[in-house]
Amino acid sequence: MSVAIPRREPSFLSKTWSLARKDIRIELRSRDTLPPMLAFSLVVVLLMAFSLPSGTIAVLPRSVPVGTVPSNDVLAGFLWVTVLFAGLVAFARTFENEREAAAMDPLLLVPLDRSGLFLAKALANLVYILTVQVFIVPTFLLLFQVKVGEGWPALILVIFLADLGFVAVGTLFAALAAQTTSRELMLPILALPMLVPVFIAAVELCSDLFAGQGFGQIAERGWFGILVGFDAIFAIVAAITFEFAIDP
Amino acid sequence: MQGRPLSTSPKLKALGMAAWAACAVAVVLALFVAREASADQGGPLQRIFYFHVPSAWVGYLCFAIVFIASIAYLRTGARRWDLLAHGAAEVGVVFVTLVLLTGPIWARPVWGTWWQWDARLTSAVVMWLTYLGYLFLRALAADPRTVGRLAAIVGIVGFINVPIVHFSVYWWRTLHPSGPTPANLADGSGLGGTELLAFFVSLGAFTLLGAWLLAWRVHAGQLADRVEELELAAELGPGPAVAVTPEPGMGT
Repeated sequence: MSVAIPRREPSFLSKTWSLARKDIRIELRSRDTLPPMLAFSLVVVLLMAFSLPSGTIAVLPRSVPVGTVPSNDVLAGFLWVTVLFAGLVAFARTFENEREAAAMDPLLLVPLDRSGLFLAKALANLVYILTVQVFIVPTFLLLFQVKVGEGWPALILVIFLADLGFVAVGTLFAALAAQTTSRELMLPILALPMLVPVFIAAVELCSDLFAGQGFGQIAERGWFGILVGFDAIFAIVAAITFEFAIDP
Repeated sequence: MQGRPLSTSPKLKALGMAAWAACAVAVVLALFVAREASADQGGPLQRIFYFHVPSAWVGYLCFAIVFIASIAYLRTGARRWDLLAHGAAEVGVVFVTLVLLTGPIWARPVWGTWWQWDARLTSAVVMWLTYLGYLFLRALAADPRTVGRLAAIVGIVGFINVPIVHFSVYWWRTLHPSGPTPANLADGSGLGGTELLAFFVSLGAFTLLGAWLLAWRVHAGQLADRVEELELAAELGPGPAVAVTPEPGMGT
């Protein structure tokens, strides 16, 4: 019997994608991250609603009297607090599959650069957070009667760019937090201060979009520069330092 | 004892004496020699500036040391870089804590509020939280053999983030001016010759103090390593044979 030997080694990206697909497939079968993540974010949204004074929920900024806080600012903050919390709860489980199955060593034996391993884990996390956002963002906009109108492509772009930085930092620190005695606490403690720039930029941009501004107006404000810069810097730094976080 | 003496080295002692002497001079200059600031700067309270700013300087310096030592540790794996990074993070957190405590004491009467969400204050508190996280990571790491590498990553990533945080918070506040914009501490405090002298002596004194604390911390870390080594040696060594065999004259 002849054994088929592949003529070429699979490329970096295809190996990375197989690893990410493995995590996503496990999740699709076990469903132990996404559904709880979604339920968790709904609960957070619910609590946020209780913290708004009655009457402010439906008020759009243009009709807000001078001196009051426009609700779009507060709501944009709520949305991103929800996303960050739900995301960090999920990211804390980044290496859970390997831990439960004692499969960390086999994972490290995969003939792939450590940066590829990082990319795979980050990709899976990105898929999780995007999936949750597909449900939670429209729900959020609906519940708080926010109208983005023409701004929806810009909103998707902002969310995606913010997610990239979030996932880069979250995945790297998840690897660190997984090696402490209280990883659910360590991940937010480490990641949240680091995510301050992403949070501010995302909130500022979403706040403008909630106030009915279009892409042209928000693009001038430079927050996109912060998001893109943060994404680029931390994607590179995380990919480089990741090997020190997981090598035994 | 073999190897390094376990008592303080003369260099460390000299550094300590220099630091405390400089601090004494700085206190005299700042509290008695420097002219009192105008009432709108807080009058006598403005003197806190001579301790507040040098503390911030030492804090930032320490975090820069964490950054450099972390890179060096990841590259070389030499234990001394890890000890240096750990010590610098601790000393840095202590000094930034001082900054965050002395600032509000001055701000309350001058700005009329303990706290302002101003770029400098906000980025200082974010930085403080970052390095607090660094220390927590070190304290809660499951495996003491890998903790240095994990911490080094936070030391590097955290430091790279400091300017980005500062920049984004600055933008955030300049775009949304709300309430009085506080003048920063150095502005308009009218530093004359003696005031500048007091300031720079204090800066030097705090730097020496920080260096002394850091040297102590590294020294303490080395001692802790040594204790661990000796304990390990005692466990692995002939052990029972030595411990059980009674010395001559005992038990008679």
